[in-house]
Amino acid sequence: MKAFVATKLDEYSKGRISRRQLLETLMVAAAVAGAPGAQAAPAPNRALKAALVNHISYQCPDFKRVADWYSRVFNMEQVTYPSEPTQIGMPFGRRNQKPLGVTADDVPTSYIVVRTRNPAGTAADKSAVARPRSRATIEHVGYTVADFDRNRARAQLQALGVQNIRDGGLYSLHMTDPFGYDIQLSGVANNALTDGA
Amino acid sequence: MERFIDRLIDEFDSGKLSRREFCETMAVATAVLAAGGAAANAAPQSGFTMLGVNHLSYSCPDYRVARDFYASVFGMQTLNDNGRTRANLAFGPAPDNGGNFLVVHNPGNNPPPPTDGYVDHICFTIANWNEPQIKAELAAQGLAGRSRGGNGTMRVLDPFDFDLQFGNHIAENINEP
Repeated sequence: MKAFVATKLDEYSKGRISRRQLLETLMVAAAVAGAPGAQAAPAPNRALKAALVNHISYQCPDFKRVADWYSRVFNMEQVTYPSEPTQIGMPFGRRNQKPLGVTADDVPTSYIVVRTRNPAGTAADKSAVARPRSRATIEHVGYTVADFDRNRARAQLQALGVQNIRDGGLYSLHMTDPFGYDIQLSGVANNALTDGA
Repeated sequence: MERFIDRLIDEFDSGKLSRREFCETMAVATAVLAAGGAAANAAPQSGFTMLGVNHLSYSCPDYRVARDFYASVFGMQTLNDNGRTRANLAFGPAPDNGGNFLVVHNPGNNPPPPTDGYVDHICFTIANWNEPQIKAELAAQGLAGRSRGGNGTMRVLDPFDFDLQFGNHIAENINEP
């Protein structure tokens, strides 16, 4: 979309199209890009292509405390697992709602699962413990919220008692969760095209 | 929308808005339009309406190794690669309309201190799940020995032994825990 807008703006700046033509072209482009089903074409003939984050698995000493924090601060619903009593899932948006920008029926809502694992616990616990030690870490996680306004978001977070709130460039805020983990919050303006540009 | 774009053009013409700002504002406005009333306008009186994961900041000894792995194995698109310390790896919907990305980067000068909370793995959704073909692609990438699982959910260790899961909408679905 940006490349298209830039091209049309260039044409307008050079007098190749009129103001009216620029306006009409951008109107149509915005409508088409915003229409259901408008997505980047998938790479052909590829089975293993990430379509979306399915979930983020977060380990901490007290999963209930973190889940309650996410529910209080971010209005996230909690989903319990009868077979896994020490974890809670929290979907983005309502359950069964399509993720933003997704039209496919086989790409479900992303979610966070918060866990407190017991090394002597279930088979899944033991499997996790047996993994090799990673030399990579997820230093922070960024979430997208609707209608993001940095000043308003900062005020809301402060009112909720969230710790260590600080600016993250032009488009976002950082904060820490109850266990000190770094979380970033932004709108769609913070994305793979703008971040680090 | 027409009035909004009209005003943007005015601001561009008068020099109040740069070319870059014009393009970014149009992209955001279009994304908000795409999000529709249900998602973008449904924010409650207080608190936030979460739309999804924006990005994951992935720190590792050599971002180029991670970049090449995620691009070649999971089909991610490399963007804003500075050639020295970091790159974005985009996947999913359009970047400004719900797309996710990994920021793969070398450790900074002031890495964050260890915390009691941490991400121990991430899981990607794979659409149009075709398990035999997936296993064949992993084998072709030399990853057969570093991957395991099946029946709709699998795992693979990345070059830095970070644990990755990937699955289909049947095996990995919050709507059907």
